[in-house]
Amino acid sequence: MNKNWSLSQEAFDALLDWLDSDREQAGIKYEQIRSRLIVFFAGRGCINAEDLADETINRVTSKVNEIQKEFDGDPALYFYGVAKWVYTEYLRRKTPQSQSAPIDSARAELEFRCLERCVARLSEEDRALLLKDYGAKGQTQAERRKALADELGITLNALRIRVFRIRTGLKVCIEKCIQDSL
Amino acid sequence: MREFLLGTLDRDHKTQFEERILTEPSVYEELLIDEEELIDQYVTGELSAVEREQFESHFLITAERQKNLRFGKLLQKYVNSHVEEPPIPSQSFSFLHTPVRRLASLGLLAAILGAAGIIFIRGFVNRREAASVVQQTTSQVMTVTLQPGSPETQGSTAQSVNLPPRGVEVKLELQLAKPTFSYYKSELFRENKSLKISDEIKIEAKGEQCVVPFTVTGEMLSPGDYQVKLSGVGSGTDEFIDNYSFRVIE
Repeated sequence: MNKNWSLSQEAFDALLDWLDSDREQAGIKYEQIRSRLIVFFAGRGCINAEDLADETINRVTSKVNEIQKEFDGDPALYFYGVAKWVYTEYLRRKTPQSQSAPIDSARAELEFRCLERCVARLSEEDRALLLKDYGAKGQTQAERRKALADELGITLNALRIRVFRIRTGLKVCIEKCIQDSL
Repeated sequence: MREFLLGTLDRDHKTQFEERILTEPSVYEELLIDEEELIDQYVTGELSAVEREQFESHFLITAERQKNLRFGKLLQKYVNSHVEEPPIPSQSFSFLHTPVRRLASLGLLAAILGAAGIIFIRGFVNRREAASVVQQTTSQVMTVTLQPGSPETQGSTAQSVNLPPRGVEVKLELQLAKPTFSYYKSELFRENKSLKISDEIKIEAKGEQCVVPFTVTGEMLSPGDYQVKLSGVGSGTDEFIDNYSFRVIE
């Protein structure tokens, strides 16, 4: 692939068409594939998993018109095949790993203020659940969750999903709060 | 999934699992939940030393996961500052309101004072036995100075620490013969299970001695035997320095 090739709107539209005829669904599928590619590269120990995921997407996008004619199956599997090639090339040119930059105290303080604001916006029920999920000291996470699921009369898996959703919502809220504050 | 996240899954299983992540939405969602749970276990010190090493060297490889770890730490900090004490029942002393019950209550009070006296005397004896432990409690922080030594070397004279009240933090001061590192790492264990790790700790001067401060929440301790492993943080690897053992008593 030409390394100078950049993602044009036309090529990107063709990619989205291949993923799904409905544009909104195609966008969702695109995001899902990208997130999973990041997990794939991270699972193989690549520090720049995000970049490699984007490189994989760019390669597929650059040839999407040909792929559409020749490949019949789940697009995710095609991405997976390309990702394995990208990984092999990554191993050949692997560079020393860099450390992430430390967070300064002002930023840490802002993040905490935003967290407080976002938690305050949660429903009473969700806030109590979050505090209980972390709150009981001297217990392991498994013990805490088991007790909490029993208390709420729900399965452990239902509790895990519920906590995950609350946290995901909080993360989105914090991101927005930080952006608004900067 | 845990093995995949920590990078310990064998090659064949990894390849199969990678394909499932790409093609099965439920597998990917489950993986995200597992990621968050692993982060929480890291933040609360539930991972073993080996798992922590795998977590730091393999799991934390992406910027997104590093961001999620920051969120986990932030949430932990928030919850620690917002967990409420259980309310005290307001009708505790209503039985004192009638003359007959008042007499009965005086008897009860005498019994309680007697029991408290015994507990105080036992506590005094325990404190004398724990000759190598200096324990001082302010309103929020209980400071305990520990000398190095394992249960094997200390035998029956293991350093004893009184069970801290709820809401009190316990500052363990680990005595150090000579300060050779800029930063230190402490890990608290109970029955070989890691409870908490702190790194990048700086030493503090205490009189003519140096101590490494290591603060844990009172709720983390219950009656039983504990061990703190102290290491110096070097460039690249940590260097083991000493173990500090203590027993929490009621």
